[in-house]
Amino acid sequence: MNKLTAVAMLSFLALLSQAASAQTPVPDPMPDGSGDMYAGLGVLSAPRYAGADERRQRLLPVLQGQWSNGLFVSGMSAGLHLSSLPLLEYGPLVSLHPGRDDGGEGAGAVGIARLQGVGNLPNMPQALVQYNARVLAEGNRLNGLPSIPRRLQGGAFLNLHVAPDLRLTSSALYGAGSGHNGATLKVGLQAMALAPAPHHTVTLEAELALANRQYNQEFFGIDNDQSLRSGNPLYAAHGGWRDARLGARWHWTFTPSWMLVSSFDVTRQLGSTRTSPLVERTTGVSVSTALAFRF
Amino acid sequence: MRLPILSITFAILALAPALRPAMAEAGGDWVSYRDAYRAMVVFEKYGGAKSLLQQHLQVLPRVPGVDAVGLQLVVLGKTSQGRFPLDATLRTLFPLARAAYDDNAELQLSRPVGPFTVRPQISIALRPDNSYDSEDLRQGCEQALGYARHLALFGARRCAGVRFVFAKGGPAAPVTLHGGTGTPLAAVPGVPFAGDRDAGFPVVTYRFAGAERVQLDTATMPLAITPLFN
Repeated sequence: MNKLTAVAMLSFLALLSQAASAQTPVPDPMPDGSGDMYAGLGVLSAPRYAGADERRQRLLPVLQGQWSNGLFVSGMSAGLHLSSLPLLEYGPLVSLHPGRDDGGEGAGAVGIARLQGVGNLPNMPQALVQYNARVLAEGNRLNGLPSIPRRLQGGAFLNLHVAPDLRLTSSALYGAGSGHNGATLKVGLQAMALAPAPHHTVTLEAELALANRQYNQEFFGIDNDQSLRSGNPLYAAHGGWRDARLGARWHWTFTPSWMLVSSFDVTRQLGSTRTSPLVERTTGVSVSTALAFRF
Repeated sequence: MRLPILSITFAILALAPALRPAMAEAGGDWVSYRDAYRAMVVFEKYGGAKSLLQQHLQVLPRVPGVDAVGLQLVVLGKTSQGRFPLDATLRTLFPLARAAYDDNAELQLSRPVGPFTVRPQISIALRPDNSYDSEDLRQGCEQALGYARHLALFGARRCAGVRFVFAKGGPAAPVTLHGGTGTPLAAVPGVPFAGDRDAGFPVVTYRFAGAERVQLDTATMPLAITPLFN
């Protein structure tokens, strides 16, 4: 398989990926013209959407690829390492922001029905009426809200190694939401490659995310029309903090080619997203495990 | 959807241990050649001054007290294989081979010593005549400092000297300093490299003193000359 085919295939898989990882792999050099790729499949258990009380389990494609020219794909993100200094990493970054419908975040199987809210119930087919009534009874706060489409965001990343295994990370992305104008800025700290036992490595990370008003209003705000359709109270979200995340990633390598990749993340909503009527729990936990092949 | 997800989770957990016997049958513990390559090639691609430096791959067994005599590093890949003898400090020159990288080969040891890791190790190049000019040693130390700064934002600030590391069982004063005081320098037990566990190697520390230029002769070839930073 030549490099272009591999990039095309991995990019396609990235589009399918539910893994919202925006991590940038460390750009260790490699032989010219070569790559270092991981692909796998696992399961993810996470809140149905940011702030949801209800959890959802889904398949989790694992995807990471790096090439000697600096190109990388990691989960739903892709970028290009432009720096030649090992201490400093920077470059352009694109990332697919998951959409959201009344089924929750991402392209889950639940999100096939686009219900238009309480006022439209009499005009709906009976099956949808029953479905909507059930969802309302379960307290789905997304019911009646317009779907937010999946969007490709563009931006850049900047990382600095403050110690051999300690990395400050940052990324800025623009283009999320139906108006293509949602922007996020993430800053984080990663402690990499801790080795508690042979063939086990752990990466710890803490990350703060900020978002502009358009982003927070799109995902956490309720305007007048949405309030009427969904029954949620009016809510004007403003720009600023979005959330804080603490995470741990555990790699258990069985052979140089096979490994188990697991992660645990705790995310806490901050700022105006925390008091949004859509947020049922201000702290959400995500866990995942997947078998990956390195090639 | 929940049942299939649970089934997949159990399938993954069941597959995990099933992959391990395949590794064990290959002949003991291992590390990834590709990971080692990516760590070692950083020095090869370093564009700064490094003419007086050399890089080795050092094996770090989890259990201390491993006998290095006859121990070899073994590259095991589909199309690439090789054996590389380790010195008393468990170092060897690392073969940067594209074929082994593409194979995603394993690095093993020629006899089981338990789990181990590997790391790059920089030292000052040895001379076949066992005679060293203090100015060359200072330059070698400065080159090593430059490379250390290339890799870490915060760290050593200046060169203080060098350490001669010798094989065990050699002369008590294996370094003779010509010019200046002209006295032999005694060895004291120490570790070859920071983080090593075996502190029984004879080590002679030579600290740079102003602009004084001296000649240092070694009775035998050192295992390594390591930079000493402040």
